[in-house]
Amino acid sequence: MSGFFSQAQQLQAPDVAYQAVLPMLLVLGAACVSVLFEAFLPRERRWGWQVALTVVTLAGAAISLIVYGNDAPKAGVKTFSDVLTIDRPTLFLWGTLLLLAFGAVLLIADRSVEPGGAFVAQAAIRPGTLQDRVQAAKVGMQTEVFPLTLFALGGMMVFCAANDLLTMFVALEVLSLPLYLMAGLARRRRLLSQEAAVKYFLLGAFASAFFLYGIALLYGYAGSVKLADIATAAAGTNRSDTLLFAGMGLLVVGLLFKASVGPFHTWTPDVYQGSPTPVTAFMAACTKVAAFGGILRVLMGAFASTNWEWRGVLWGVAIASMAIGAVLGLTQTDVKRMIAYSSVAHAGFLLVGSIALTSKGVSGTLFYLLAYGLTTVATFGIVSLVRDADGEASHLSQWAGLAKRSPIVAGVFTFLLLALAGIPLTSGFVGKFVVFSAALQSGMAPLVVVALVFSAVAAFFYLRVIVLMYFSEPAADGPTVTVPGAFTTMAITIGALATLVLGVFPSFALDWAGAGGFTF
Amino acid sequence: MTVLLLVLPLLGCLAVLGLPPKRAAAFGVAVTSATLATALLMAATFDYHRSGFAQFSVNAPWIPLIDLRIHLGVDGISLPLVVLTALLCALCAGYLARPSGQPERPRALVALLLLTEVGMLGTFVALNLLLFFVFFEVVLVPMYAVIAGWGGQRRAAAARQFILYTLLGSGVLLVGLLLLYSRTSTMDMVVLVGRAGTGLSHGVQVLGFLLIAGGLAVKVPVWPLHSWLPDAHTQAPTVGSVLLAGVLLKMGTYGMVRIAVPMLPEGAVALAPALGALGVAGIVYAALACLAQRDLKRLIAFSSVGHMGFVLLGIATLTPVGINAALLGNIAHGLITGLLFFLVGGIAQRYGSTDIDRIGGGLLAKAPRLGSLLVFAAVASLGLPGLAGFWGEMLAMLSAFRPAGGLNPALYLVFLAVAGLGTVLTAAYFLVMLRRVAQGVVPPRWTAERFGDVTAREWVAWTPLLVLVLAIGLWPRIVLGVTDGAVRVLLRGG
Amino acid sequence: MLQAYVPLVLLFALAGAFALFSVAAAPYIGPRRYNKAKLDAYECGIEPSPQPIVGGGRMPVAYYLTAMLFILFDIEMVFLYPFAVSANALGMFGLVEIALFVATVGFAYAYVWRRGGLDWN
Repeated sequence: MSGFFSQAQQLQAPDVAYQAVLPMLLVLGAACVSVLFEAFLPRERRWGWQVALTVVTLAGAAISLIVYGNDAPKAGVKTFSDVLTIDRPTLFLWGTLLLLAFGAVLLIADRSVEPGGAFVAQAAIRPGTLQDRVQAAKVGMQTEVFPLTLFALGGMMVFCAANDLLTMFVALEVLSLPLYLMAGLARRRRLLSQEAAVKYFLLGAFASAFFLYGIALLYGYAGSVKLADIATAAAGTNRSDTLLFAGMGLLVVGLLFKASVGPFHTWTPDVYQGSPTPVTAFMAACTKVAAFGGILRVLMGAFASTNWEWRGVLWGVAIASMAIGAVLGLTQTDVKRMIAYSSVAHAGFLLVGSIALTSKGVSGTLFYLLAYGLTTVATFGIVSLVRDADGEASHLSQWAGLAKRSPIVAGVFTFLLLALAGIPLTSGFVGKFVVFSAALQSGMAPLVVVALVFSAVAAFFYLRVIVLMYFSEPAADGPTVTVPGAFTTMAITIGALATLVLGVFPSFALDWAGAGGFTF
Repeated sequence: MTVLLLVLPLLGCLAVLGLPPKRAAAFGVAVTSATLATALLMAATFDYHRSGFAQFSVNAPWIPLIDLRIHLGVDGISLPLVVLTALLCALCAGYLARPSGQPERPRALVALLLLTEVGMLGTFVALNLLLFFVFFEVVLVPMYAVIAGWGGQRRAAAARQFILYTLLGSGVLLVGLLLLYSRTSTMDMVVLVGRAGTGLSHGVQVLGFLLIAGGLAVKVPVWPLHSWLPDAHTQAPTVGSVLLAGVLLKMGTYGMVRIAVPMLPEGAVALAPALGALGVAGIVYAALACLAQRDLKRLIAFSSVGHMGFVLLGIATLTPVGINAALLGNIAHGLITGLLFFLVGGIAQRYGSTDIDRIGGGLLAKAPRLGSLLVFAAVASLGLPGLAGFWGEMLAMLSAFRPAGGLNPALYLVFLAVAGLGTVLTAAYFLVMLRRVAQGVVPPRWTAERFGDVTAREWVAWTPLLVLVLAIGLWPRIVLGVTDGAVRVLLRGG
Repeated sequence: MLQAYVPLVLLFALAGAFALFSVAAAPYIGPRRYNKAKLDAYECGIEPSPQPIVGGGRMPVAYYLTAMLFILFDIEMVFLYPFAVSANALGMFGLVEIALFVATVGFAYAYVWRRGGLDWN
């Protein structure tokens, strides 16, 4: 007991670089305030306050990020007893997350496309009952989605910046738990939505367990959970490699699951399809950014020196992911599932950049994340617009001849699909280019060839949708295209414009992404 | 001026979407004509004594981090192709504007046509590898849409095959370009040609050549990667077929001449025999396949594979003569096959079919002028001396007598012999086709039908092609004089 | 060094064997006197809630809420003890930090309270 006390006396209050972590503190603080709003505001006033709070928070966080980023030390800052690192990639990832979250929040806040919003008005009702139909027709929604979004975002920001595995695990849980809930909040097709939530939760819990077990083994190996200590231990000792690689394997499986890299993708199509579309947009864009931010940092920080041992395995994973995404994407008949498989394929491409383990690989992957996220948010914005009497008409056959009903929506969607396919003059092409050229420079030519083959196959299924929209006769009782309100219009505009700008003048973003490397 | 060449159709492409549908085709004619005028003006002011160097150059940074620059220019190799492209696009736009056959959704079709033109012209004037690739890709999607949207009955499958093959091809091409970039850290084509492969190891050169030429081979198409072509040509609407055969295929051979051979000379020497072998295999294969075809469009499509075989043979010799022959063959094939597809389009409009048995002969009796034009185009295509098709094939075979140093002359003699056999077979299938379509008596089912001979509009559209086929046939220096200087620069390495 | 764990492994084995033995032996040596309470499902010692006839059963959500609240404050305690022990070392920073922590838990409590999570009916 005396030992315990003497240890306690050695504790030091950590230094905190408040300015560096201000964006993160703002988001998490606002999430708490948002909970209080839920508790104390009357039901009808919650939506307005929540939207205002969320938007102001994101803007404030973005401003503080910019202010700090302008004269941040190039080498990065470690803070909170070195558990967080605010270096250039962190700043870029935070900026990306805030931007994407802003787009997703606009979609979440929209109440014009689906009267009352895409979220359930009262959650604890059994699907398919009379009460459920009453609920679906009600105006108003569960505004808990706003604090949940902010908590998830805060978790993602910590995840990207985490410098040790335990912090990373806590952040992983903070970002995951709200997402599990948000997946189950769809106003319509409650059963599908709840199924998505349960599946995501169960599989996500497994993944978290893998992650935690991996941490335990790595702690056993290195005697520390800090990335830098693990790297030092791996570089210069003759300890048991079994612990190291078993730990790394389990850890990476947990990360790959979150990033929906095949073959750890099985939750992706179901969850993307069942979740409310704005939440799908948030998950597809932001979770991917956070997860790949984590993958990059872990691989570069802890395992770079042993890459000869594990790179082959991740080659295989990347190929599997691209193959699964591209080939199964071809067979999908639901738009949301199709985009889900496309995200699996994109995760494969991102992994190609992540295992390059060079500064070019990092900056290429970061740029790819930004480009892909913005395109994805806009894509799901469009998906939410095509509706029939039962809600969103996501079956592909219902999209036939869409260009005749709404040429502008079809045109924008075409552009976004071309970006996902990686056709030149869109951000998708620049992203693929920087990632693949980085991979080529670190000697992964065969992998790049395979990646390009699969990107050609994947491109085909996007083109198939384009042809369907333009050259098929619309069904007589087909869906209508809702005229979006200001929020959704803004989200789609931001996404589509960014896709164009990042495709034609990407220099500024490439410069930001390449401004500096990780600090460990 | 090169910028104008690209900006005109691009602006046109955007503007046409805002016009009323009825005006679209006429507007398309105006834009493509203006582009053609620009191209002709360039040809007129081109300094032919310095044809080996890029003229009208523009060089501005675009995305410095990946070395993408807007580096454009025209030299002796690209000038004829630029003019050919502008000409065929203008003729296609004119074809769409004819009052008898307004297409469905004219706005979209004209816009896609103009976008394709931007891509095609851009491919030929780009002097930055990545820019070249960007334009190369820009062509694909609108072409896919043209086939998928306005094609024949089995258009979906044909369009799918087209896009899968060509996207895979561009993927491989991109890897090759990236490999080149990662070893030289420049994308500038002029610089790379000047270096002529110095500083690149033998292995890198061979691999690079394999990837780049392999990617381009899909587009050419080199046998056995050609199987997308017959379906795409057959199912595409007339304008699509004309541009596919007339210009798109040339992008492949142009890329080989411009990028693969001069930048990776050791790789070229190592792999040229294989290229030549595939070329002559294509010649013979296409000729045999043509003998078995019952559809006019399919027959012409397969004949393209054969003609491109000659072009490849010319390139594979790696000599100035051979490459000049290849470039001449390119132009001649573009003109002749463009004309053939227009003529077949005319026949299809009258007979409602392109099936040889269904037409059943007697075209010369039924529509003598149309029949004569078909005979003219067919004999030009089979390489009758005095017409454009002859020189490309003859010079290619001639150059195979004396391939460049480092290549096995005996092997090329074998190629020569096989190619000679191919010319005989080519003549055979074209003559068989003419006997079955043009000659003979009019079958009873068509005697009652009344359809006119060549209309005034058709004359206007086809005359430029006829004149050029004849002119190049009689005086090939029109093309060779322009290309020769540039070819020598490329092969000397700057 | 692994030998240090041998007693632990033995203990585990012993505990497992005891459990298995008890379960296996009960049917043979135990008396059999059944009543309703014994045959019912075991639910915290109270009578199980009635099951609807169709569509499976509903669990009263109140159980979960109470359990979650319990965990919430349980965890709070777990953090408060070590803070109390090293409060001097951490000084002002630690005080503010722990106050924030308590406040954060308080937000959750406020939410549950205002939204009716504490009403049993």
